[in-house]
Amino acid sequence: MRTLFSFALPIFFFSAIGFSSNAATKPFPYPIEQHKMANGLNVVTVKFDSPGIASFFLVVRVGSRNEVEEGVTGFAHFFEHMMFRGTEKYNKDQYNEELKAIGASANANTSLDRTIYHMTGNAKKLEKMFELESDRFQNLHYPIHDFKTEAGAVKGEYTKNIASPFAQLSENISNTAFDAHTYKHTTMGFLKDIIDMPNQYEYSLKFFDRFYRPEYTTLLVVGDVTPERVNKLAEKYFGNWKHGNYEAKIPVEPEQKETRYTHLQNSSIPPYVSLNFKGPGFDAKGMESPALDILCTILFSENSKLYQKLVLDEQKVRSIYGGIYDTRDPNLISIAASIVNKNDMQYVKDEVLKTVEAVKANGVDEKMLAETKSRLKYSFAMGIDNPSSIANTLSHIIQLTGDPESINHLYQNYEKVTVDDLKAAAKKYFTPEKLTIGTISADAEGGVK
Amino acid sequence: MKTLMLGILFFGSLLAQEVVELKLPNTNKVIINLMFKNGSVCDPAGKEGLTSLTSALLTQGGTGNMTYADIQNKIYPWAANYGSSVDKEVSIFSFEVPQDFLNDFYPILKGLILNPSFSQNDFDRVKRNQQNYVDQVIRASSDEEYSKKALEDFLFRGTKYQHMIQGKSESVKGITLDDVKNHYKNFFTRNNLMIGIAGNYSSEFLATLKKDLQNLSDVKPVTPTQIAPQMPKGINVEIIQKDNAFGSAIFAGFPMNLTRKDDDFAALMVANSFLGEHRKSYGKLYQKLRETRSMNYGDYSYIEWYDNGGRNMLQPAGTPRTTNYFSFWIRPVQIAKQLKNQYKELEDIKVGHAHYAIRMAIREIDNLVKNGMTEKDFEATRTFLRSYINLYVQTPGSRLGYLMDSKFYGKKDYVNEMDKKLAKLTLADVNKAIKKYWQVENMCITIVTDKSEAEPLAKSLKENLSSPMSYSNIVKAGLPKEVLIEDDAVANYKLNVNDVKIINSADTFK
Repeated sequence: MRTLFSFALPIFFFSAIGFSSNAATKPFPYPIEQHKMANGLNVVTVKFDSPGIASFFLVVRVGSRNEVEEGVTGFAHFFEHMMFRGTEKYNKDQYNEELKAIGASANANTSLDRTIYHMTGNAKKLEKMFELESDRFQNLHYPIHDFKTEAGAVKGEYTKNIASPFAQLSENISNTAFDAHTYKHTTMGFLKDIIDMPNQYEYSLKFFDRFYRPEYTTLLVVGDVTPERVNKLAEKYFGNWKHGNYEAKIPVEPEQKETRYTHLQNSSIPPYVSLNFKGPGFDAKGMESPALDILCTILFSENSKLYQKLVLDEQKVRSIYGGIYDTRDPNLISIAASIVNKNDMQYVKDEVLKTVEAVKANGVDEKMLAETKSRLKYSFAMGIDNPSSIANTLSHIIQLTGDPESINHLYQNYEKVTVDDLKAAAKKYFTPEKLTIGTISADAEGGVK
Repeated sequence: MKTLMLGILFFGSLLAQEVVELKLPNTNKVIINLMFKNGSVCDPAGKEGLTSLTSALLTQGGTGNMTYADIQNKIYPWAANYGSSVDKEVSIFSFEVPQDFLNDFYPILKGLILNPSFSQNDFDRVKRNQQNYVDQVIRASSDEEYSKKALEDFLFRGTKYQHMIQGKSESVKGITLDDVKNHYKNFFTRNNLMIGIAGNYSSEFLATLKKDLQNLSDVKPVTPTQIAPQMPKGINVEIIQKDNAFGSAIFAGFPMNLTRKDDDFAALMVANSFLGEHRKSYGKLYQKLRETRSMNYGDYSYIEWYDNGGRNMLQPAGTPRTTNYFSFWIRPVQIAKQLKNQYKELEDIKVGHAHYAIRMAIREIDNLVKNGMTEKDFEATRTFLRSYINLYVQTPGSRLGYLMDSKFYGKKDYVNEMDKKLAKLTLADVNKAIKKYWQVENMCITIVTDKSEAEPLAKSLKENLSSPMSYSNIVKAGLPKEVLIEDDAVANYKLNVNDVKIINSADTFK
């Protein structure tokens, strides 16, 4: 109800960003304790005042990015489902019983660069969490029939998602914008591969052997715990986990030479324009990622000049949004608008580009830059008010760099962003050769040039 | 003398204010929730959606001395945020602001609630979006959400609970700015307000807030409560057909006279958690439909409204209701058109999985009504809930929201009290409650599906035709015998179907 119009917006993976109000300490306000085990598993503990509650996360740096082989798109996500199908010690029914007894909120999700397994619940059950998770991460064992059956649930998930025209467009945009890199397919995968999943049992064993290894994983515990206890339990339960030796060769995306187009004919929703520029991969230590985040906030948030012109004054646009996908490899910077009248689709595209060109020529107001830094700082500070939101924030940065301390590097760089950084980023990335235009309208063609 | 009298009267009014406080001196922010007991049940006939539009305009418009753009510019560096949500019986305005800027932000809050600008320009923009929601968004963006809203329309037909919070296509068209102004005056008043505040604030700040909110209108609105929907006679199905649907999205339910206010709620909470805990793999429905047969992404049941179940993993606060119903949610299952394309061995099927899935869900409820829970399942489920409900209140915002909902139901702290009730509960209490509140003879079912599926599915349901589960060969080959035996029983399980209608998507929510 609150987000009446959020349907119109694709999901972005922004970094959680901000600064500590205390300049003398690190930007992230809680100490991050790290313990690297001999087998390569990194154990991260953040103590937080949440009496009786702890979040237990396992972040595996495998996602649809790693799906380099033909015919297995969507496999990282499918495999996440299989992780709930039992071990020698606990078959799936026993696993469910044990999980229920913990009384936690537990689940998993997969995206482009990572798979996260998370539990938030009673801190007194911490050892049981370790036992259950270490068992399935090392001893996963599912019957072949279960494997074939689970593929149906993945198809059900696809069926649910694809009901949205925005999901359909998003699938088309990735497929159009990328030629070689695995970001060409969404995390769900191509439907033909989803239908074929039941035939891939042997590949699933290989997949587990390759990626469910300590060097791909970070164990993260936040809440009413101590690092000493977490580290001790980690050694006890994950100490025998064996290091692997596989590394996927992710294809490098060739340079895009000209604007690309994809259109979805659909009269059931308002006209929609999505402008997608190839951006950089995430880099916590460089200036481009923070500059682009700040730039998108300035240009497309509700107080931006563009928003106020198109949405509030002219009322030609219902909503507009812009941001960069935070991913390990170069991905898209997306700006999307839901439009009142289809005759204005070209106009909206032109207005967005005019705004970007103005930054290239004139930069932005220093005051606006300072206010944006302030906004990010306070927004971040208000958001990390419970173990699971802290764990999610750190998981996000871990998936990108493997190091939770990157959150501090990122914050420090936000503070350093200058108007020249914004100009440079705009000049480098907002160019017609890097652009893919996605449109939805009742017409057979998109018509946006 | 006159002054003294006024003082006494004023004091009297202050005492009447409902306030929920949650002081958290170590936090860096303040959250203020203003809950008005109005909601969409207060929409006048023919103006359905008015409460929603009024709330939205208050938070997406300007104040007496600031435009909406001015406000956005001002609060941008503070990262302060606010918004409104409306349910059947309440509207809630939520404000969140860093403690550093509370005093700077407060005049804006005051202006938005006490002195809204109600500009025509803001009204046009906000109304256009609401119109778009009822015309297009609800029908096009998520078939699951569509079937859920359509179920409420079906279950509560002819009552104040029937229409969507956002209204109907025709009614939203007719709402004027004057309607909004009048509705604000008559239904957003100091007499139906509950104030909630959490975080790092001073007593002086709260005193000012309470005093200022006395300046709201003094009208004493009457909010219809305890709407009494008719129990449907038999099983009545509405199939909503649309172009290019990929699956069949299903919601079903029947009215139930039970809310958090009642003692039996704890007992039924255990039964419901066992049958279909939201987004959990422990529920019977999930295990039978998704885990064993992988028919869809998940299957759950509810004994009260659960907002935005597709997104929320833990039940959010902010939708307290005096009228209630039981429901179950079958996430989209496959339709014949897709199955035929995907598997050669299924090229002759006439209908997809919806009929089978509905039979399976109702049969599970039936079994539970007949047999009750076992002691083992009862203990496991109770243990789970006694830990799990604490997760509803992990953040300052959710704690405040739950405390306010508690007050709505005449309770102090629902989560805490629920734990005590769960501790005392017996298996007999649960099995008695199941028999008292649940049945499978009478209910409403809504199915959003593809045009190609609607007719054959309607025929199958209407004539109680056998609906064997159509597996692909690769899955069928490995199914254990007991699953196949159960499949047979489910395929022929008789439903007390009274009526099945097919409705075009354009004709829903009229």
